[in-house]
Amino acid sequence: MRRFVLGVFTQPEACVEAARQLHAQGVPGLDAYSPYPLHGIDEALELPPSKVPLVALVGGLFGVIGGYTMQWWMNGVDYPINVGNRPPHGFWTNIPITFECGILLAVLSIFFSSIFGFFQLPRTYHPVFESEQFRTASLDRFWISVETEDESKVEGLREQLRAVGAKRIHTVLEAT
Amino acid sequence: MTAKPALAQLSGAPLIEGPQDDGTLNKSLLDFVWKEARPGWYALICIGLALTGLLFSAITITLARGIGMWGNNIPVAWAFGIINFVWWIGIGHAGTLISAILLLFQQKWRTSINRFAEAMTLFAVMQAGIFPVLHTGRPWFAYWLFPYPSTNQIWPQFKSPLMWDVFAVSTYFITSLLFWYLGLIPDLASLRDASTSRRARIAYGIFALGWRGSARHWHHYKIAYLLLAGLATPLVLSVHTIVSWDFAASILPGWHTTIFPPYFVAGAVFSGFAMVLTLIIPARRFMKFKHVVTLRHLESMAKVLLTTGLIVSYGYVMEHFAAWYSGNIYERHIFFFTRPHGQYAWAYYTQMFCNVLVPQVFWFPAARRNIAVLWIGSVLVNVGMWFERFNIVVTSLQQDFIPSNWASYAPTWVDLSLYAGTIGFFGTLFLLFLKFLPAIALSEVKELRHEMAAAEEHQPSELEGAKP
Repeated sequence: MRRFVLGVFTQPEACVEAARQLHAQGVPGLDAYSPYPLHGIDEALELPPSKVPLVALVGGLFGVIGGYTMQWWMNGVDYPINVGNRPPHGFWTNIPITFECGILLAVLSIFFSSIFGFFQLPRTYHPVFESEQFRTASLDRFWISVETEDESKVEGLREQLRAVGAKRIHTVLEAT
Repeated sequence: MTAKPALAQLSGAPLIEGPQDDGTLNKSLLDFVWKEARPGWYALICIGLALTGLLFSAITITLARGIGMWGNNIPVAWAFGIINFVWWIGIGHAGTLISAILLLFQQKWRTSINRFAEAMTLFAVMQAGIFPVLHTGRPWFAYWLFPYPSTNQIWPQFKSPLMWDVFAVSTYFITSLLFWYLGLIPDLASLRDASTSRRARIAYGIFALGWRGSARHWHHYKIAYLLLAGLATPLVLSVHTIVSWDFAASILPGWHTTIFPPYFVAGAVFSGFAMVLTLIIPARRFMKFKHVVTLRHLESMAKVLLTTGLIVSYGYVMEHFAAWYSGNIYERHIFFFTRPHGQYAWAYYTQMFCNVLVPQVFWFPAARRNIAVLWIGSVLVNVGMWFERFNIVVTSLQQDFIPSNWASYAPTWVDLSLYAGTIGFFGTLFLLFLKFLPAIALSEVKELRHEMAAAEEHQPSELEGAKP
């Protein structure tokens, strides 16, 4: 059963600084929550570079290649249409749709990979929401959570959070 | 790289007025959603719904009796259907410009108006889509436009700009929708968490998808949002370029010109900014957003209006010059006879007055800061841009090459009802958006406020000096 020790901060800088200290102390399972992106939190938690651009690139290339191939095969191979005696496979006239397909696939892959892959949403339940005060995380407070399986570590983590300046500390238990 | 200009923007007139913190911003920006709607809102939505009813009646008549109910004839086979399509799509472009291009240019003033403008884009593109689908004549076969393996065993003809349009507009709608929704997710979570009733908490909770503002999510979110903006930027330019190719790829005098793509894109941004101003001036007043949509925002938008107005004017000059310089009698006839002296000369002069002369008042700071002048100016630009498309579509078709082929054109009541109806439908969607969703991008405004506070702390002397 997972437990989350949650600490509240009123200032974003204090939250980032606390995250940096806890991370430096080697506390595992750290995360921070804020109403808007915190400056410097990526470095404080040493998050690896996001893979979103890679996904976008792959999606975009897939769209470009797929879009071009589609037009070439449909108009040039499978059913050539003679329009004013132009060649059935026209490179230049294929560019606009190739471009649009590239954008479309890149956009779809960014959006859906973010939501379903990187964010792991939609989810109807997360243990942090067990704390009613956690609702301020999207409004005007900044939170740090430490995840642990071990009940005996909870007291120590509360101490550590208090030491780095958390105003209030909550412990939540994952519902079973 | 851009830290310095970004900081410099935070000086001058403040982008967020008054002493604010995250709490007061939450309260003031979400207040309209929680409060009981006022009579004015109900009155407006009644008008909107009545016009939406008119729209659906006109669509029903068009479906039941056919395109013959419209004023279209031969040679004027494109008329209200295409005019309104181009007008609405053009309006949509400002939303993408504000949310994507200004984001890439790090224009901080976009923060307060981007959500609003994106919603406008989305609803405008919806209206735009109605017209060409109906104009196909048999809209129940509209899916034939998409390449799917049908029993007809043929494929769409990809060399036609009309096919390019299908891809461009569908891509544009999908991109705008996903970009808008991605931006909304953190604010939907704010609404979920600020809600006091269980019903609101569940409703907003569903659409917030369980967003918890985790640093690990923001880490991907920031880059995803930036990439979507980066992709939307060339997309928006391509969409109106392709719309202009619908015209420019034909050989008709008045359409067959290379200036069309840039001139259409500039015209689109011009009309779109005008529509943002038309909508946001009353909204900021009645929704009490004056502290985040300040005079400085309105002034910046007026400057964009002036700039794009000048580009559009340049387009007009160039197309007249090219017609004269070509020596082509058909081109000369359209530009120097049909448009300024023909059946719709008044439409031509309305276009020139609204699009060329009216924006010139925004050279003057006093005009840019006068709410009444701004609002009337923006409405006139919307009118002018509609007449521009009217002149392009109708007059060029009206008198093409052989005088025996010429005809006059007049819209019917069905045409007018469809047009008025889309305005009502757009208004209805917009009012619902204002009532049920945060019209100002809350998380971005809070971030901006934090940046402003941090900038003031680090360089108090520099910013003090810049303040008026």
